[in-house]
Amino acid sequence: MRLGNGPASIGELAEPFDMALPSFMRHIQFLQDSGWINTRKEGRVRICTLEKQQFAIVEDWLSEQRALWNARTDRLEQFVTSKQNKDNSR
Amino acid sequence: MSNSFDPALDLKINRIIKAPRSAIWNAWTDPASLEQWWVPAPAKCKVVQLDVRPGGSFVTEISEGGGPFAAHLNACFLAADELERIVFTNALVGGWRPAEQPFMTAIITMRDHPAGTEYQAHAMHKNPADRNMHEELGFYDGWGMVTEQLALIAERRTQ
Repeated sequence: MRLGNGPASIGELAEPFDMALPSFMRHIQFLQDSGWINTRKEGRVRICTLEKQQFAIVEDWLSEQRALWNARTDRLEQFVTSKQNKDNSR
Repeated sequence: MSNSFDPALDLKINRIIKAPRSAIWNAWTDPASLEQWWVPAPAKCKVVQLDVRPGGSFVTEISEGGGPFAAHLNACFLAADELERIVFTNALVGGWRPAEQPFMTAIITMRDHPAGTEYQAHAMHKNPADRNMHEELGFYDGWGMVTEQLALIAERRTQ
């Protein structure tokens, strides 16, 4: 889930899971082999990133646009209502 | 003018927002305000052009993960009826010049409502026959949705 927000180290990704690191590494390996993610070494840390192209193929583009507009409308609503409260309390 | 709705290509978001139309209009038309809500945090938005009148440019950039600002939206306003309606499309760029990758037209409408404003966003899309065009939409806020699929795949693998 975490990778949607950007690249992360394997340690970071493994943290929420109740799983031994070697088993977790096998999942990472599987995801990498099947092209869902990419990994690279940065010093002693292995960084994972999502492979965008791969996801784009399986995505339902319209539901994605809907999610995008919903989230955008949430942020607009939040922005105007919180600004309003601030203006009122002035 | 009535706008047809094609369920295969369109989406509508309806929302009652507890703020007057003027607050919503300003949030859309003031660059500093738009920057604060246009893209999801922690990404940052830069409004490059926001010329809210028919033919005016609507250009925004996005910076993700502290990286440099990159193309986000390059569009053209088609209508701007103060406090009522904003229409823009990325089928054109500023000055009505045809765009390379037309994908959507959005109609934002605001009506008075006892609780504030009846807000609607109606987005109409071109059928993206080529799924790889995703990268080229120029209208893409990062990708929260895809994480669900990653979780699904990971779960399937665990079973």
